[in-house]
Amino acid sequence: MSQSMQTLSHDRRQLLKASALAAAGSLVTGGSLPVVQADQAVDDLPTGEGMSWNKAPCRFCGTGCHVQVGVEDGRVVAVAGDKAADVNKGLLCVKGYHVGGILYGKDRLTEPLLRQEDGSLKPIEWDEAIKIIAKRIFDSPETFAFYGSGQWTIPEGYAAQKFMKGGLSNNHIDPNARLCMASAVTGFLGTYGVDEPAGCYQDLDECDVLITWGNNPAEMHPVLFSRVTDRRSRGENVRIIDIGTRRTRTTDAANDYLEMDSHGDVPIALGIMHLLIENGTYDKSFVEKHCNFRAHPESGKTLFGEAISEDEFRKRIAEYTPERVSELSGLSVEQIRMLGDLFGDDDVKITSLWCMGMNQHTMGTAINTLVHGVHLLSGHFGKPGDSPTSLTGQPSACGTVREVGTLAHALPGGRIVANPEHRQQCEGFWNIPEGRINATPGYHTVKMFDQFTIPTDEGGDITTMFVQVTNPGQTLPNLNKLFNDKKNLADKFLIVSDVYPTPTTELADLILPAAMWVEKNGIYGNSERRTQQWFKMVDPPGDARDDTWMTIAIAHKLFEMGHEGMKDKDGEFIFAVKDESGEEVPIWEFDRYYDTNVDKHLFEEYRQFTTMKHKNLAPYDEYVKARGLRWPVVEQEDGSWRETKFRFSGFDDPFVAEGEEFDFYHSSTKDGRAQIWFHDYEPPPEMPDDEYPMWLCTGRVLEHWHTGSMTRRLAPLNRAMPTGYVEMNMEDAKAANIRQGEKVIVESRRGSCELPVWIDGRGRPPRGTIFVPFFDETKLINNVTLDEHCPISKQPDYKKCAARVKKLSEAES
Amino acid sequence: MTRLPKPQTEEPPAESPRSIGGINIDPVPATDLGKKSVARSLPVHRPPGAIDEFQFLIGCTRCGDCITACPYDAIFKAPDRLGNIASTPIIQADTSACMMCEDFPCIASCKPGVLVESIPPVMGTARVTEHLCLAHHNTTCTVCGERCPVEGAITVADGKPTINEDTCTGCGVCRYVCPAPENAILLMPAFSRPGRPHV
Repeated sequence: MSQSMQTLSHDRRQLLKASALAAAGSLVTGGSLPVVQADQAVDDLPTGEGMSWNKAPCRFCGTGCHVQVGVEDGRVVAVAGDKAADVNKGLLCVKGYHVGGILYGKDRLTEPLLRQEDGSLKPIEWDEAIKIIAKRIFDSPETFAFYGSGQWTIPEGYAAQKFMKGGLSNNHIDPNARLCMASAVTGFLGTYGVDEPAGCYQDLDECDVLITWGNNPAEMHPVLFSRVTDRRSRGENVRIIDIGTRRTRTTDAANDYLEMDSHGDVPIALGIMHLLIENGTYDKSFVEKHCNFRAHPESGKTLFGEAISEDEFRKRIAEYTPERVSELSGLSVEQIRMLGDLFGDDDVKITSLWCMGMNQHTMGTAINTLVHGVHLLSGHFGKPGDSPTSLTGQPSACGTVREVGTLAHALPGGRIVANPEHRQQCEGFWNIPEGRINATPGYHTVKMFDQFTIPTDEGGDITTMFVQVTNPGQTLPNLNKLFNDKKNLADKFLIVSDVYPTPTTELADLILPAAMWVEKNGIYGNSERRTQQWFKMVDPPGDARDDTWMTIAIAHKLFEMGHEGMKDKDGEFIFAVKDESGEEVPIWEFDRYYDTNVDKHLFEEYRQFTTMKHKNLAPYDEYVKARGLRWPVVEQEDGSWRETKFRFSGFDDPFVAEGEEFDFYHSSTKDGRAQIWFHDYEPPPEMPDDEYPMWLCTGRVLEHWHTGSMTRRLAPLNRAMPTGYVEMNMEDAKAANIRQGEKVIVESRRGSCELPVWIDGRGRPPRGTIFVPFFDETKLINNVTLDEHCPISKQPDYKKCAARVKKLSEAES
Repeated sequence: MTRLPKPQTEEPPAESPRSIGGINIDPVPATDLGKKSVARSLPVHRPPGAIDEFQFLIGCTRCGDCITACPYDAIFKAPDRLGNIASTPIIQADTSACMMCEDFPCIASCKPGVLVESIPPVMGTARVTEHLCLAHHNTTCTVCGERCPVEGAITVADGKPTINEDTCTGCGVCRYVCPAPENAILLMPAFSRPGRPHV
């Protein structure tokens, strides 16, 4: 597979160079692009003949940096950090500087391809492709599943959601965010009764102490981390405490490195709470006024649990003495006492950050609620700099998956399919007959793929799967069980919409070429509740088309075939869009799709859903003007729109009653209080033993984004990080007689993967542990990982399973 | 990889003039009109172990053996437009850097002996251009330090790389891997190299 970028002409390259580290504020746009108003006049971007600049959020992670995209002759020729953006203030990370190149890999998919009997791919027309999909759905609507992504734009996710739940009465729609954010969601819901962080990135500018819980923001969220290191270089004193299972780039910048055993985070959080209670340093008045105590009932684990008394909480937490926590977590008693004292100190502002280390965890929901509990119990909450904040890995995991609710159990705006009132409200908004929305949650990701790869006659009741904007053939855990079996099942039909060939398209029966990023209109929502809009700037290559259009075209084909679900109460098409004169615009024909702004229509319709959970969004046009706005966005008396930085805090949140300091107005106990949870420690489901003696942890690297399907096509990033590897401890390598760079086999009970060794590389794992990044499509470490998952969030644990490392010579013998 | 000293020039340089705040306080030596001036040429990025450029151009047969021998395709024939050095072996780190093999197959393959093992394999030196370096912009990037094949040539302090010019061999790996939008590594070929050793 060729990974190199098309070469740019000489002056383009000069321009790219000149502008790459420059940044933009105001800009003049030509052609049909709207003029973006600048918040501040900074204009040192070159504007050559016919060159125009416009804003867009970066295509990669959940940080939500804004870039300025330079377009000339219908091609993206330059990218610059956006100085007017509050998130990144002109700075980008190494990936962001190259984001423009992702459009121009040599192997972009440009035409629909249908798999033939002999396994080859034949180009077909779009009409035919849409017909094939519509027919499969029409013939068996209940065995169809839609697998999406936190890279879906808000309108893409909303269209898919409406198509499935409001059209097909089918709840088998789930996103890859199930593999990434699900435990954070259940953590927020279990604690506050409503999803997403209360604080925002400003916490990073104001905290005295930053704790990274199994989190490596220096590499994975570098722009956010630099907000903190930047403060240090200005002479501010910020203490960084890294609690992790291996040394990382974040550790290099940390004042304290607390190395824990796998699963050690749960006892550590319990230990901190124990010390707060024991030393009497918890925030008595905050807890009395604003918190309840909660635990799972005897009968089994539930999302909302049951109330326990404070005395009961004290009794249970009493067992987690520093000595016991030390045994369970691998930290020393002193280190645990240090954390206890720190949280007991009212004079420091503490922000906790976490990401996959806490989410990809068989106790994911538990550890998320416990860390919130530590902050609530100690009163380190709701003031700038005092905040438990989860980071996201995808640009719209929050905006699309969590807010539009493209999950098997959810409906838009924080609603759930199991709640009759919620179903009714959605049926009302969608103007569809009552009872159309199915009350039973669909299959979550792991289950969905399990059902898809089990033969139909053995009960595998998903037969057609549509995958958009994601690469499950590389990211699912235990691929041999959940994905690779698809090869041998003739009656299972996999449809994949993507921009480049991936391990997922290799098994696809129908491949659809998608438009990406600035080749279409879009809206993302980042980790700090910031909704960000951008406009289409260039045409997609060949016959590539928007994902939203695909969903609408399939829906309209079904409508033509007479599928009742594609009609609303009045018999109209559920995605009907009318122009000013009341005429329907045929948006299902791609050459008419941009006659109107479909994104805007869908967004305005979706906005109605957001007020129930106080996630109010402004009208679409407000986002055109801003570099994103943090919800809840509330209209002011003068007609302007105001964003919210700190939810539940009286000084900032418009929904907190006048005079109240805090109000958890979506409390699951309906009394305005947050829940402090207790969970007992449970060991990981698979532990190293004589046969598989190593802990395997997977993760990411700075230069590549997730499965690398975009970043691997950028020569500079691929040069900087050309191959997947296995990180080993020097002592382990010596003991096994393994040399630097040697190729070895990493294997578990489930599969194996061949990788070069990097001893004490960028990260330094302790003895008995190895680390493997998952970006390399030629080295699928997820053949090795485990599909055990959190019972509540259903999120798999990619961070720990038992593996062994074998020399090639041993493997051959 | 062990630490490599800088090549000894044929004549040890005179002690550098004493100075106060950069102002020379030693008398300027008289001009020696009897000394022949050396023909000047642009420095060329040669493979490791290349001898003095003047002797190199006389000795190199343009056979291409070192180009074939390089396992990393790091050695090129210089294009015709480069005049008198056309067809001689050069390194273009932007395309493919010298990986500093332990056994230097290029040197082993050189029959005319213009690449020799007995002089240190120093091709030039690299320097970080700070205003282009992402790490100096306070965003995380440590690729050059991680991939440098010469121990001690790049030190990373406070997340920011610095190149130790006494240790750096100018192999160009750091330039090749630098992911900054505009390459933050300035790579300079050696201005002078030791002459053919007397065997």
